[in-house]
Amino acid sequence: MRRKSPLVRRGGEVDIDSAMTPMIDVVFLLLVFFVWTASFQVVEHILPSKVSAQLGNDASTDVELPPPDDFDDVVVRIGWNGQTPTWKVNNQQVDSLAVVEQQLKVISSIEVGVPVILHPDPIVPLGHVIEAYDVAKVAGFNQVSFAVNPQVN
Amino acid sequence: MQIPQYKSNRKYGFNMTPMIDVVFLLIIFFLVSSHLSKQESQLELELPTASTGQDDVDQETPRLTINVQADGSMLLAGRPITKQQLESRFAEVRLKEGENIEVRIRGSRLTPYAAVEPIMLACTGAKIWNVTYAVYREAGR
Repeated sequence: MRRKSPLVRRGGEVDIDSAMTPMIDVVFLLLVFFVWTASFQVVEHILPSKVSAQLGNDASTDVELPPPDDFDDVVVRIGWNGQTPTWKVNNQQVDSLAVVEQQLKVISSIEVGVPVILHPDPIVPLGHVIEAYDVAKVAGFNQVSFAVNPQVN
Repeated sequence: MQIPQYKSNRKYGFNMTPMIDVVFLLIIFFLVSSHLSKQESQLELELPTASTGQDDVDQETPRLTINVQADGSMLLAGRPITKQQLESRFAEVRLKEGENIEVRIRGSRLTPYAAVEPIMLACTGAKIWNVTYAVYREAGR
């Protein structure tokens, strides 16, 4: 007995509707597949930072600052006035992060090997701390570290 | 009018369409399930932005990801953890995975710095030196 295709009706007519269904099925599956694989999420990146167990000097803010070309390290203090951050580069008040960046670029053009220590106040939001870290990296410093208070634990 | 005729001498045909259907369904299933399991370990946080953010290409280094929410609460492996528990947990993992371990801090940009300090202290206490921050990359300065 000869087997007849299920798409061919009696009289030899082809059922176009039935023929289209699997194709639409597959096309929709392909569509869903590609839509799903196209990522809607923002890609995360990383900011590497090495920690060390060096002890700092609590009284550093009271020490007379050396001349700018003779820095042992650059301390960037980040404060918080309730709504916006405030910055101090080696204990000198700085108006904005852009000025911090300029100053750091000047220092790095003199000596790039100077370590930069970021010393944020405990209430400063992390976003602003990372911004300052980023600025120091953009300025060309390789050694950028965070100051932490051992008494917070 | 010519009427198309399907002539086949084969008794049994092999229809590819359902197979493709099933294969794609399986692919989508695995894709969705892997995506969901990934989402489970990645808490949605408003991360800080940095122009010097690097691509995360290193998949070999053992990693501990710690999520710090805006209120300062911390989650390690999806479970809440206190700052007192951090060091012992880090030391435990370091002993198991070796000194090459990385600690990744996924902190909200609104998290106060005081909430992140204990993590760095715990890292130094457990002798873990490789600390990274998860950031979104902004356009270059």
